[in-house]
Amino acid sequence: MGQERFADVVERFTSGFAADVPAEMIKQWQEEFERGFRRLKNLHEMTVNPAEPKTGQTPRVEVYKRNKSRLYRYESARTHRTPLLFVPNLGISRPYIFDLLPGGSFVEHMTRQGFDFYLLDWGVFGPEDNDLTVEECVVKILPRMAKRVLATSGTDELSVLGYCMGAPISASFVASHPEVPVKNFVNMAGPIDFTKVGLFGLWLSKQNFNVDRFVDTLGAVPADMVKAGFKLLKPTMDLSTNVNLWWNLWNDKYLEGFQALNKWANEYVAFPGEFFRQWVRDFYQDNKLYRGELVMGGRTVRLEHITCPVFVVGAKEDYIAPPACVRALIDAVGSREKEYIELPGGHISLIAGRGAATHCWPKVSGWLAPRS
Amino acid sequence: MVDGPVPNQLFEQWRKQFEEGAQAWTRLLSQAPPTTATPDPTAFWRPVLDQGVQTWAKLFAQTPATPELLTQWKQFLDQWIEAWSKVLGQTMGTEQFAKAMGQSLDQFLVTSAPAKKIVDQQIEQALQALNLPSRSQVTAVAKQIVELEDRIERLEDSITAVLRHLANKEPP
Repeated sequence: MGQERFADVVERFTSGFAADVPAEMIKQWQEEFERGFRRLKNLHEMTVNPAEPKTGQTPRVEVYKRNKSRLYRYESARTHRTPLLFVPNLGISRPYIFDLLPGGSFVEHMTRQGFDFYLLDWGVFGPEDNDLTVEECVVKILPRMAKRVLATSGTDELSVLGYCMGAPISASFVASHPEVPVKNFVNMAGPIDFTKVGLFGLWLSKQNFNVDRFVDTLGAVPADMVKAGFKLLKPTMDLSTNVNLWWNLWNDKYLEGFQALNKWANEYVAFPGEFFRQWVRDFYQDNKLYRGELVMGGRTVRLEHITCPVFVVGAKEDYIAPPACVRALIDAVGSREKEYIELPGGHISLIAGRGAATHCWPKVSGWLAPRS
Repeated sequence: MVDGPVPNQLFEQWRKQFEEGAQAWTRLLSQAPPTTATPDPTAFWRPVLDQGVQTWAKLFAQTPATPELLTQWKQFLDQWIEAWSKVLGQTMGTEQFAKAMGQSLDQFLVTSAPAKKIVDQQIEQALQALNLPSRSQVTAVAKQIVELEDRIERLEDSITAVLRHLANKEPP
């Protein structure tokens, strides 16, 4: 094949000399046209008749509720005796990302591996919750959740897994509640050393952000503002998402996953005002957790008091919780058995998507299995 | 057909250009005194963009028309977005940007606070005149319910503890 231009190919096609074109290339073009047609068809379907993604399909039972917070139990064949309490982020987003779609769900993976999975859903907060603090989560809500896990599973020990903001919150709980029998602790993409937390650390620093004025004026952090903050963190994200969507729009399977993930990615949740104040001041600005200066319910939170086996998972391209700030837990805890792994991808890649199912979830369940 | 390494080299060259440009831009931004106007990014990038567009036009003209071109175009777009992402990331990672953002947020809060207070007061008065509960009153009731739930739970815990204690005391 010589140096031909597309116009020349069209010319030969239209002049009836298609026989000169290699059959392989004709086939390639046919496939491309077919993909193009399917793209248009799916785009039409998406805009005219958008289907509501069926997220959160793994069967579950609500075992406890406290104000807006719920504790859900996903029962398994229970190959492993120790149940797992999963503590996600409070505010920001909804927790159905952990049970996105059948075949692409962290909850489903863990239950199939034989773990009784307990998901803490912090809930969607309103103005009546503006007095909720991080301290209340650590000293009131989490101990009760842990108690319910033990009561409903009939065991005397549990594992705790914190994801994102849920990791420092649950680490504070484990460190300050030695009476709660925590057998294993897992931190997935949870910031611990807030001096290494990247752009959010810079933007929320004392010099650049007056948290008191913010909370006193607005009362809470509205969902739209949370959204704006996260969009600003990666301004090209929407563009690359749409480019990838167009590129893969012919693929029905991709489209199904995209719609579910996109629904989640655009459903932001507000922060209660006092929670945000304490979160920014104690964690981002003063780094009290890592420095051992955090006091919760009259108890000093010292990470070295965590002595159970600890597993930490960081993501290489995580710009919300960069690996360095996540890894810091390894050096801070008092555990003898501790392990850190760094996986490819970003913050969300650990809990959703094909990469998570291949790289991350089997590692988490594989680490927990012999210890449960 | 197009050889694989040619576009890859081109991408590499592009990436390098963007990265060097991004660093220069960030340097420029961080060194500029506060009174200086922000440099025009379009003017700064124009030579780089022109060169890239020309190279791509040449490549397209010399390449046979296979669907692989689309794949290469997608790769180019991805690289281009990634390069811009880096540029923006570097700019937003400067102390100047953080300071400017903090100041504009502060400005917004300072100006909106009195307006918000007035609106809140007026709504409160209007609701009172209509004999309807205000948002703060409804919120206060919700808070009371949460507190009551909390108390009930504490009572439940105490009763369970007492019952367990009694059960342990009873002879078998």
